[in-house]
Amino acid sequence: MTEPVNPIRNQFIEELKTSGFTSKQIIVADESRACYGYDATRQSADPMLVLLPENGPQVETALRLAAKKELKIFPRGAASGMSGGSIPSSDGIIISLTRMKRILEIDQENMIATVEPGVVTGELQEEVSRLGLFYPPDPASLAFSTIGGNVAENAGGPRAVKYGVTADYVMGLEAVLINGETIKCGNKCIKSVSGYDLTSLLVGSEGTLAVITKILLKLLPAPEAVKTSLLAFPSMTAAAHAINNMFKNQIEPSTIEFLDHHSINAVRDGLPFTLPKEADTVLLVEIDGTTPSVLLQSQKLKELFKDDALLLIEAQNESERAQLWTARRRLSPAIANLAPHKINEDIAVPRAAIPDVIARLEKLSEKIALPIVCFGHAGDGNIHVNVMLDKDDPDQARRGHQAIDEIFTITLELGGTLSGEHGIGNTKSAYFDKEWSPTTIAAMKSIKQAFDPDNRLNPGKIFPTQEDLQCQ
Amino acid sequence: MTTFPWQQELNKCVKCGACMAVCPIYRQTGREEMVARGKLNLIERINPEESGYKKSNAQDALPPGWIEAVDNCLLCCSCEENCSKGVKITDIIADARHWQTEKQGLNPIKKSAFSLLKNQVFSLPRFLKAGSFLQWLLWRRLPRHSGLVRRLPLPGFDDKTVIPALPKQHLDDYLKRQQSTMNLKPVLYFPGCATRYLYPQMGLDLIYVLAQLGFQTVMPQELNCCGMVTWGAGDQNSNQELQQRNLEVFRKHSEIKEIVTGCASCGHALKEYDELPEDCKILDISEFLFLHRDKLEELVGAKKLDKKITYHDPCHLRKGQEITSQPRWLLKLIAGENFVEMRHPERCCGAGGTFGLSHKELSREILAEKARDTDDSGAEIIASGCPGCLLQLTEGAVVAESKWQAEHPISLLADLLRKDVR
Repeated sequence: MTEPVNPIRNQFIEELKTSGFTSKQIIVADESRACYGYDATRQSADPMLVLLPENGPQVETALRLAAKKELKIFPRGAASGMSGGSIPSSDGIIISLTRMKRILEIDQENMIATVEPGVVTGELQEEVSRLGLFYPPDPASLAFSTIGGNVAENAGGPRAVKYGVTADYVMGLEAVLINGETIKCGNKCIKSVSGYDLTSLLVGSEGTLAVITKILLKLLPAPEAVKTSLLAFPSMTAAAHAINNMFKNQIEPSTIEFLDHHSINAVRDGLPFTLPKEADTVLLVEIDGTTPSVLLQSQKLKELFKDDALLLIEAQNESERAQLWTARRRLSPAIANLAPHKINEDIAVPRAAIPDVIARLEKLSEKIALPIVCFGHAGDGNIHVNVMLDKDDPDQARRGHQAIDEIFTITLELGGTLSGEHGIGNTKSAYFDKEWSPTTIAAMKSIKQAFDPDNRLNPGKIFPTQEDLQCQ
Repeated sequence: MTTFPWQQELNKCVKCGACMAVCPIYRQTGREEMVARGKLNLIERINPEESGYKKSNAQDALPPGWIEAVDNCLLCCSCEENCSKGVKITDIIADARHWQTEKQGLNPIKKSAFSLLKNQVFSLPRFLKAGSFLQWLLWRRLPRHSGLVRRLPLPGFDDKTVIPALPKQHLDDYLKRQQSTMNLKPVLYFPGCATRYLYPQMGLDLIYVLAQLGFQTVMPQELNCCGMVTWGAGDQNSNQELQQRNLEVFRKHSEIKEIVTGCASCGHALKEYDELPEDCKILDISEFLFLHRDKLEELVGAKKLDKKITYHDPCHLRKGQEITSQPRWLLKLIAGENFVEMRHPERCCGAGGTFGLSHKELSREILAEKARDTDDSGAEIIASGCPGCLLQLTEGAVVAESKWQAEHPISLLADLLRKDVR
């Protein structure tokens, strides 16, 4: 268990202490460091050291001192990520931002919140909702993921179809560069075109360009009402057609979630309502806004689909709304029962391509003889593709791997992208050059080079690594 | 190789992070080792069965980070309630504490406290009664709330630490004088130590309400501590001993099928007993009253408590026993429109058995949020069916200099019914 003495680390720790870090903010013990090396991808690596800064200047100090020793830096929020974005290397330092969790200001006049990166998304939503305000981005992990992590991964959620993703709400940032200096970008102005838009560049950069220490977020007035409906259709094509029809008829749902027929079968038993046998695709539709507008749109929705939908249930109160959501909520645990393991990808395609993707994945499933379960955000084309398998069976593992490759091929052929909301991290970096040309990747790398010339900030993420290239 | 008993359970954790959303300790510390995901990771890596940390191997002490993480748990079960994989987190933590005590021995203070606890019939009541006379030397009454605070500087207590006033008479003493000969249906009553020795009035209130409903409460003197506190401290031997003694009492009274308690933690502990007699039902008082709601609603009639009241879910009621609706039904019956929900009634108050005493600072930070949410509710009374929570909430009011009182729902109900009689 004991490691050889690490003189560089010990010296670094001494310097941190001299610069104001308390021993509680520096985690050295083997057993405790081990708790900062994993995320939701089930990968794990023990960092050399973990720091828990309390504010921006402390992040500056840490990065400045680390620069002198050429140490690697791995920023970490709640580590609920699905692409390995916060996984460190054994010679790296984790900067855990979970103690920087203050909401610094909620500016009601300009409707902008200024927060530290460790603020939990759900808690910000709760705080602003008390003032009648609304922060829309709603990743599934919002109850525990941090704003900093959401910004770094440009997280989205079901509401993206109407409200967009995290990037659409970030007005400005403060971030510490790898040399320990802070940059400020953006401001509270809605119109702001002075110079390069570094805010947009840093959003979704997966912690590879700078460590974000302060975030300005746009807020909206909270919607007055919300109406939830569940619709069942005989085919994915019929469902896709229905979605298109909604928009054409000025129905603007805040959420359109879909379940394919595998998903339906996984949760069918024990649902608080009965689904017709012929139901192949289920849509969960939410409409929000002012009360009259919600009523009008819901009325239209009912008229529009009274013939085409096999089933149309409209929730009349909060408990009925929760009942309609049970199908979607139960899905993840339910499909976990289908096989010991699952490979979960979060591809996105232009909305109109959804039926094509589903049809081609169906064929792929037959070819590789593994179930592929699809569900997700039909409104924005973000599909969670789950290949169900037993990884301990070498043949299934091989077929699973083949499936991932083909899933990405299909997605890209239809104009889609490798990741809708999870990011590339280290789990999809091997496929990155499938999506982007060498010239495009070179352009991205030159940006990385400009910010982090020695590749010390969250290395091994986004771009294919040597290991990735050898595997191909 | 010995197989580590919890390995399968630990494998279930996919490290999704959902426990972070609800863990009171993580909320305050922001430290990964302090949340279930981190603790399980530690226990998986360093467990006595597998990694050489053997009982016999004395120089191989458990690492301090491990001990700190395992120690910093309220056993509030919030993570379990929120875990989509259903990992038995609190059982694992309690077992980890058990390994630790096996290896290092039990903390001497806890050890003497538990030996008192196990000697319920003689030494515990005597010890506490002696305390009821002597306590005034060091503690004084609070002006607005029930409970005491220190007079002089004392180690481990600051001037806002509230302790219960030790009563001169225990519940058993009152019951000796109240031997009932009524021909009513008997119900076995498990009062729990806190009610029995610290808050006997709470017990009398429960007995009174049950009598109004037509039940005679039977409270055998031989009943012992439910064992929760020993289980949580990792003293599994004491826990087993206490369990067996209580089970013996239950078996002796096996003609009574319903065992009622007004203590959330006792109810949670009793429901987890391995060898409960067949057909024997453990019921929290709110569950019991809900079963007899027709009669109770008739008894209460149009009487209403004329004070704004809110409710705090005791963790061992909500997360331990999945009881949420019955207490709310009861409070609506008592206070009607005057019952309001506070924000986050489900959040732990930070009491966690002895956690409030051993981790004062952290416990206070957790409590401060509870107090703020109670303040914001505008309630004059915060009700909660757990003596531990009530003591902690009272301290919360003292620290926050708030006026609201913490009360057991059964006491509110008893007061309402007594008004009727008058």
